[in-house]
Amino acid sequence: MGALAPSLRDALAASAEYELVTSHLSALLLSYPPAFIFVHDPENARLTASVIRANLETLAAQNDSSVNVTYACINGVACFSPRILFDTALNALARWTPDWENGALNWSPRADGRRYNDNVDAFVHGIQSIFADRMAASTRMHSTGKGKEKAAPASQPTNRMVLVIERAERLKDNVPDLLVPLTRLAELTQVDIITIFISENQWQDIRPPLRASPEPYYVDVPFLSKSATLDILTAAFSPSASRDASGSADPDAYHPALKPLYAHFLATLYSACGPFTHDPTELSYIAAARWPGFVQPVLDAHQRRSNSARTNADDPMNGIDEYGDGYGGDELRPPSEDVRLRLTRLFTPSFTAALEALYPRITHAAHWARKHAPPLDLLSVPPAHAAQALQAHTADAQTSTSAGLEALPRMAKFILVAAFLASTNPARSDLRMFGRGPDERSRRRRRKVGTPRKPKPGTTGTAVKIPQRLLGPTTFPLDRLIAILGVLLEENDAETRPVAPQYSLPGEYTEMEISRVALYAQVMELASMRLLVRTSPADRLDGTPTFKCGIGYELAGKLARELGIILNDLMFEPL
Amino acid sequence: MHSVEITTPRRLLNTGRRDLGSPGPKVHVPPLGTPRLPPAFPTASPHKVAPLTSRTRAARTPSPAPPEEPVRSPTKTSPSKRSPTKAGQELDDLPRVLPPRLHPLLECQKRAILKALQRPPEVDEIDVYSEDYPPTNRAAYEQLSDLLMGTVTRGEGNSCLLIGPTGSGKTQMVEQAIAALPGNPIVVRLSGYAQQNDRLAIREIAYQLAQQTGQSFLPTNEEEEEDEEPPDAAAPLRSTKDADDNPFLNPSLPGDSGPALSVTLPPPAHLLALISMIPTLPRPTIVVLDGFDLFAAHARQALLYCLLDTAQACRAGPTTAASGMSSASGMAVIGVTARVDTINLLEKRVKSRFSGRMIRTAGAAKVGHWIAVTRVVLSVPLGERENAENEAVEEWSSIWKTATDQFLGNEAVLDALKETYALSRDYQMLTRILTGLALELSPKFPYPTAARLKAAISRQRCPSRFPPLHTLPYPAICLLIASVHAQTSGHDIFTFEMLHEAFKNQVRTSQSAPVQIEGGGIGMTFERLADLRIFVPAAAPGVTVGREFSLYRSLVDRFAVKKAVETVGQLSLKKWFTKAQ
Repeated sequence: MGALAPSLRDALAASAEYELVTSHLSALLLSYPPAFIFVHDPENARLTASVIRANLETLAAQNDSSVNVTYACINGVACFSPRILFDTALNALARWTPDWENGALNWSPRADGRRYNDNVDAFVHGIQSIFADRMAASTRMHSTGKGKEKAAPASQPTNRMVLVIERAERLKDNVPDLLVPLTRLAELTQVDIITIFISENQWQDIRPPLRASPEPYYVDVPFLSKSATLDILTAAFSPSASRDASGSADPDAYHPALKPLYAHFLATLYSACGPFTHDPTELSYIAAARWPGFVQPVLDAHQRRSNSARTNADDPMNGIDEYGDGYGGDELRPPSEDVRLRLTRLFTPSFTAALEALYPRITHAAHWARKHAPPLDLLSVPPAHAAQALQAHTADAQTSTSAGLEALPRMAKFILVAAFLASTNPARSDLRMFGRGPDERSRRRRRKVGTPRKPKPGTTGTAVKIPQRLLGPTTFPLDRLIAILGVLLEENDAETRPVAPQYSLPGEYTEMEISRVALYAQVMELASMRLLVRTSPADRLDGTPTFKCGIGYELAGKLARELGIILNDLMFEPL
Repeated sequence: MHSVEITTPRRLLNTGRRDLGSPGPKVHVPPLGTPRLPPAFPTASPHKVAPLTSRTRAARTPSPAPPEEPVRSPTKTSPSKRSPTKAGQELDDLPRVLPPRLHPLLECQKRAILKALQRPPEVDEIDVYSEDYPPTNRAAYEQLSDLLMGTVTRGEGNSCLLIGPTGSGKTQMVEQAIAALPGNPIVVRLSGYAQQNDRLAIREIAYQLAQQTGQSFLPTNEEEEEDEEPPDAAAPLRSTKDADDNPFLNPSLPGDSGPALSVTLPPPAHLLALISMIPTLPRPTIVVLDGFDLFAAHARQALLYCLLDTAQACRAGPTTAASGMSSASGMAVIGVTARVDTINLLEKRVKSRFSGRMIRTAGAAKVGHWIAVTRVVLSVPLGERENAENEAVEEWSSIWKTATDQFLGNEAVLDALKETYALSRDYQMLTRILTGLALELSPKFPYPTAARLKAAISRQRCPSRFPPLHTLPYPAICLLIASVHAQTSGHDIFTFEMLHEAFKNQVRTSQSAPVQIEGGGIGMTFERLADLRIFVPAAAPGVTVGREFSLYRSLVDRFAVKKAVETVGQLSLKKWFTKAQ
C-alpha cells in the first residue's frame, strides 16, 4: 500500500483529536524534547504515522525557527534487516536519494566506500558524521548570513534529528538486537537525535527485558468518535480525489455540488460497515469503491437532462459549446431528497457486499467498482424495477468463488471427502465408522453408537470436548486415506462404473480402482494444489507419506452432496 | 560463588560518623554502604504538610476529580468541597482568562519548564533532607570526581563501578564529572547494548581513540614525528616505542588529512593489543562502560579482563619505570550499571583486577525532594527576552508564581506526587509527568491543576495495555465473549473456528445481532485482535496449520470483558456473556 491520499491526511490533521497530538509533538520537537517518544494509537496507527510525517515535513521546511529539524521516517515492516534499516535511516537523514544512474549507491560522505550499515557502531558513526556535516553547513550559512546583515539572530539554531519508526512492534520480531540501541540513540550518538516509535501495540508489549531501554514519553492518540470519523471522511471529499482515482470513474463524480449527497452516503456506509471497522482508511477505501457507482445514476440523469435541453432549445450560444467539454450552461445540482432516498434504498445492500469483499481485500476497489457499476441511467427505470435491474446487472458479474472445485475430476472429489473424514475422525473410530462385515456388504451402514454428545456449555466444570473440525485437521497416513476412499467408492461409486465382468469377487473392482497409479498421481496433484497438505517431507522415500486435509467442513459437505455421500453419517462427531 | 563484601569508602564512613555525632533528632540511620532508601513516607517531616492527614482526607473524599478547575472555568467553581474562603481566594488571585498579551509569555514559560526538565535541577538538599541526611549522590559525585582527578592529574589507573537504579543520575553524574576535568582527557564511551561482543567493542575503542587523538593532535600528515613530540614531554620514550610496538598508533595517531572521519582500523588480530597501549597515549583516557553487566556476559570476559588489567598495571607504572613501562597518562575504567550484583558476575581473575570501588547513586529519598524539584521546575524563571515589555513579564511572573504556589499547596497534588513516588523513584518518571503537564498548558487553560497532573500521571506512569475494549467493533466484542465462554468451558487456548462457531450459534439463537456472520469480516476482526495483542499466539505458527486453526490465547480477563459489555450496553450481549458463569 502506498501513501495515503493527501486529502484524507489533511482532513485528519485538521481534526480536533489529531490537532492536539500534532501540536504537542511539534511543541516538543521545537523546544526540548525527551530523547525517546512513544506514540500509541490502537485504532489507526497508519494514519497517525502519515499525519506525523506531514507535520515533520512542515517543521523541516520552515527556516525561521530556532530549530533545524531533519527527519527520517522508516517503517518497521519494510526495514526487516539491520542493514536495510540503517541505510534507509541514513539516506533519509542525509537527504540522499539513491539514484539508478550512479548505481543506486547509499549515502556516503565521501567516495571512500566506507559503509555505515555494518553494525550499530557504524550506524552511530554515520549519524555523527551527518550531524557534523549539518552543523558545519549551518554555521557556514549562519556566518555568511551574519556577514550580509547585522540583524541575524544571536543564537545559533539547534540542529535536531528525528528518527520516526512506524509499525515499531515489528522491530521486536525482525531486528530484536536493534531495539535497545534505537531507543538509546541519543545516548549512543551523543548528538541531538530523537527517536519516535509509532505503534498500535503498547510499549509494554515491545519493551525489551531487564529495563534495557529507557522509558519513553508516552503520547496517546485519542479515539476517533463516529461523528469525528464521518467529519474527516466528508472533509476528504475533494475534486482532486477523482483525479487520484482510477480512470474508470466519471470525472464529475467528485463534483463539489455532490458533497451533501456524499455526506449522506457516508452516514449510510458507516451504519453498514461501522460495526466491523472504524478505521477511516478502510472506510474511505470502501467508499471510494462504491461512490462512483452510487453517484452514477445522478450523473446520468444530469447528462440526459442537459442533452435534451440542448437538443430542444438549440440556441446558438450553447451550440458553440462542445459536447465533451462540459455540460452546457446548467450546473450540476445536488439531487433532491427523494432521489437520495431512492439511491440509498437501492444501494444499501451493496454496502455490505462491498465490506465483505473489500475489507479482507478479496478483490481490489477498482475491480469491485467496475463489477458493481449500476446499469446506465438507473434513475429512469421505474422504481419498482430498479432494484431488479441493479441486481440483474451486477449478478452476471458475480462468479462463484469456490476456487473452481467443480472442475475437479470425480475421483479427486472422492479423495477430498475421504481426506476430510480421515482428518476429522479419530483413527480409532475407523472400524466403527467404516468397518463392514463380510455378510453385510449391503447398503446398510452401521449406525454409530455412544457418540459423546457435546454437553451444554457451562453445565459442568469439566472441559467440554471440542469437535475436531473446529480444532483443525489431524494428520493421517496415506494408507488410511486409501482405505477410507475404498469404503466411499464401494458404497457410492460401484454402480456408476463401466461393466467389468472380469471382477467377480465382491469388492474386487474397488480394490482395483484404489490401486491405480492415477489415484496416487491425483493425490500428489491435490497436494500440489494445497487441497491436501503434505506433512511429511517430500523427499523422503521410506515410510508412508502423511497428509492433512486442506478443505473445511462447508466445502467437504458440498463435495459430498455432489457425490451423493451423506457426510454427517460418516463423521464421528456430526454437526 | 565469589561474592565480594562491599567495602565502604572512607568518605562515606566519615559522613556517617559525623552524622552519628550530630545532636539532631535521628529517625533513620542508614546502614553504611548500602543504598539509602528510607521509607516512602517518612514518619516525621518537619517542613512539609503532614502526609497522614492529607491521606486520610483524601480517603474520605472519594471523588477523583477534585475541584481544582475553579481557576478558570466558572461552571465548575461552585461545587467545591473545600472551604469556600479558600476557593474564593484562588479565584481572586488569578485571572480566569489570560489576557492575550500574556500568551507569548506562557509559551516562554512552557519552553523554560521543558528546558529545565532536561537535566535535574539543583535542589537545596539541606532544606529537603535536613542536616543529618547526607545526600548520596553528592557523596558519590565527589568520590567519582576524586577518582577521575587522580587519573587525570596523577596518572593513576583506576577502576570503579557506579551502581544505582535507573533514573538515579548515574549517566549524568559521569558526564558531569568528565566535563569538570581539567585538560582534555580521551573519553571512550562503550555501551553493552550496542557493542554486543568484544570484537565490536574493540573496534569501537579503536575508532573512538583514533577520532579523538587524531583530531586533537595531528592536523597535517607530514610532520607526524614533530607533532607527536610536544604534547608528551613527560614521556620521552613513548614516541619511539610506539613506532615499533604498536601497529595501530600509526594509523590512529597520525590521523589522516581530514578531521579523522575516515579512519582505517587496524587489522583485527592487533585489536586486542590496542587496550594495553591505552596508557601510553599522550593524554589520560577514561573508558565509560554503560551496561557493565552486559560486558560480563561476553566470552571469557576478555575485554573486561584486558581493560581492568591495564588499569591496574597502569597504577604500578611509575614505580617500575626501569622496565620501560613508564606511563605518561592514567586510565580510568568506569562501569555504569543498574544491576546490584554485578560484581558477582565477574570471574575471579577479572574480579581480582578490579579495584572493588563501588559508588552508589540513589534517587530521591524523600517525597519532599520530588516536591522541591517540581517547585523548582515549575517556577523556573523565563529565559532572557530582549523585548521591552517588562511590565507584562512582571505581571506574568506574579501570576505564574501564584498559580505555582496554589498548585503545590494543593493537597490533591501532593497526594498524587506521593502516590507516584511510592511506586517508583525514577526521576525520569517525574520528568515525563511534568513534561506532560507542561505541554497541556494553553492559553485556554493556562495554569497547572491537580486534575491535569493526575491525567498526566495516568498517561505516563502506567498506560493501559489495551485500548478501551468497548471501543472495539461489535464482532470483536462478540469474539471476546466467545473466548470467555471457551475459557469457562476449560479451553484457555482456542482457534478462530471455535470462536466463530460459538458466535454463529449465538447469532442463530438470538436473532438480534446487528451483523451478518458470513464472509471475511469476522476473520478480519480476529486478525485485528491478534494485531492488538489481545489474542496472542499460543503456539508457533506452522506451515501446515491453516490460519483459522492456529492456536491463540486471550490476554484480557473476563472482568475487563464484562466491563466492556456493560459499557456497550446491548442486552443480547449481556445475556450471552452471563451464560458463561
